[in-house]
Amino acid sequence: MSSIRFDAVSKSFGAGQVKALDDVDLAIADKEFLAIVGPSGCGKTTCLRLAAGFEFPTSGRVLVGNAEVREPGPDRAVVFQQFALFPWKTVVENIELGLRNRNMPREERRIRVMEAVELIGLNGYEGAYPHQLSGGMQQRVAIARAYVLDPQVLLMDEPFGALDAQTRVVMQEELVRLARRNPRTVLFITHGVEEAVYLADRVAIMTRRPGRLKEIVDVKSIREAEGWERYSRIEDVMDLESFVHLRTHIWRSLREEKTGAAH
Amino acid sequence: MPLGRRSAIGVTTLGLLVLAWFMATGANGLISPGRFPTPADTWAAGLQAMGRGYGDATLVVHVLQSLKLVALGFVVSVVVGVPLGLLMGTSATAEAVLNPVFMLLRPIPPLAWIPLAILWFGLGDTAKIMVIFFAAFVPSVINTQAGVRTIERPLIEAARMLGTPHGRFIREVVVPGAAPMIFTGLRLSLQASWTTLVAAELVGALAGLGHLLNLAQQDLYPGMILVGMICVAIFGALTTALLGLVERRTLTWVRIKGETA
Repeated sequence: MSSIRFDAVSKSFGAGQVKALDDVDLAIADKEFLAIVGPSGCGKTTCLRLAAGFEFPTSGRVLVGNAEVREPGPDRAVVFQQFALFPWKTVVENIELGLRNRNMPREERRIRVMEAVELIGLNGYEGAYPHQLSGGMQQRVAIARAYVLDPQVLLMDEPFGALDAQTRVVMQEELVRLARRNPRTVLFITHGVEEAVYLADRVAIMTRRPGRLKEIVDVKSIREAEGWERYSRIEDVMDLESFVHLRTHIWRSLREEKTGAAH
Repeated sequence: MPLGRRSAIGVTTLGLLVLAWFMATGANGLISPGRFPTPADTWAAGLQAMGRGYGDATLVVHVLQSLKLVALGFVVSVVVGVPLGLLMGTSATAEAVLNPVFMLLRPIPPLAWIPLAILWFGLGDTAKIMVIFFAAFVPSVINTQAGVRTIERPLIEAARMLGTPHGRFIREVVVPGAAPMIFTGLRLSLQASWTTLVAAELVGALAGLGHLLNLAQQDLYPGMILVGMICVAIFGALTTALLGLVERRTLTWVRIKGETA
């Protein structure tokens, strides 16, 4: 059991002058994939950083499983927007650090790392340094580094934001495949509405600062009813009327938010 | 610029400098040999220093004495300075405790420690190592500390998220992350080691290149003065090159990063 729960969470920075989150209540069920979308600076990344244990709420509580989050840990693997791979470590060394920290025996570790390398399709690049890889390959390594921990919870902070459009699509399709094979509780932060609808079971929409939850859209029931799983390519899914409808709905909701804030 | 072309230009520059030296000090005598030695005088002095010796020892002995002290002083500075810099870079408490001491010590020119060093340890090696230490450990500390600060926050967060224990975090994240700056500190420490050593030997020593320089000045022997200076230049450059080699060997990933950036 590894749900994530935000209980009346508020977060201010700099002695309370900047209020990033205001009274957020949000529950992500075990093995659920939830995406948060919202305008820049709405505090969606702050939500993720709270769940990761990099920051702590000013008031309220963040629970993972049934325990309050007190520090970062490998039970909540984070995939960062800027990859955050160690440039002085090779692909294998980056992936295996978390396993070494668990004192996993060398042989078992080797097998797990090789499986992960296989999974992300980086065979032949085991000894490469991050800067010898493209952005997409680097992010795959970062995802493998997270998956190899077999974490209860995956926290992904705009993981495809730094990639070019084609690479992003490939990575999104791969993530869907991974998520089907090995479902996890996922908190996914993005400003891409289509990405959110394509990947997530539910999409949470946040307001401009101070960030509040505006609306939660259920994608899963529609995806299952309309049989999106039959299509393996993202563009086919994106052509479906049900997809377009959901996307437009979320867009409108966000848009109201943007113009509303101007007045 | 390609490496071959660069070194060709470098060799040419040095060649022109020697040529200018010949012309300025030669028969037409722009500069009197009493003020600056001719190449022939210098060559003769060099042969004398290597053969019969000068100042109770041959040139080889002087050079080895200076090299030994530079190496010892440098190593002590680095062994103390880098861990201290790591401590100050990673712990706010350590920084708060140590920084005032630094602020107090830093304005004291290293050479101002010489009288105290001689009083404590006499004219032997220990006094010189102490003076070198006071000059050379400062850049190691400061650059290491600054290097730790350059490590990007997501890398530190990634290490924590992966459950990295403290010792491994220092060894595998902080040290490599700070390594480019640490090497900058080491280069400056090495430079400071040479500068201070020669100065310390000038003031009081029984052997070494600074001692040789001091004697040559007292003997009004310009050729020998230049021999001493040339030796300092050559061995200073050699040790710096050696350190550069170690740096390139150690930091392969920095070169990779530079090539792709």
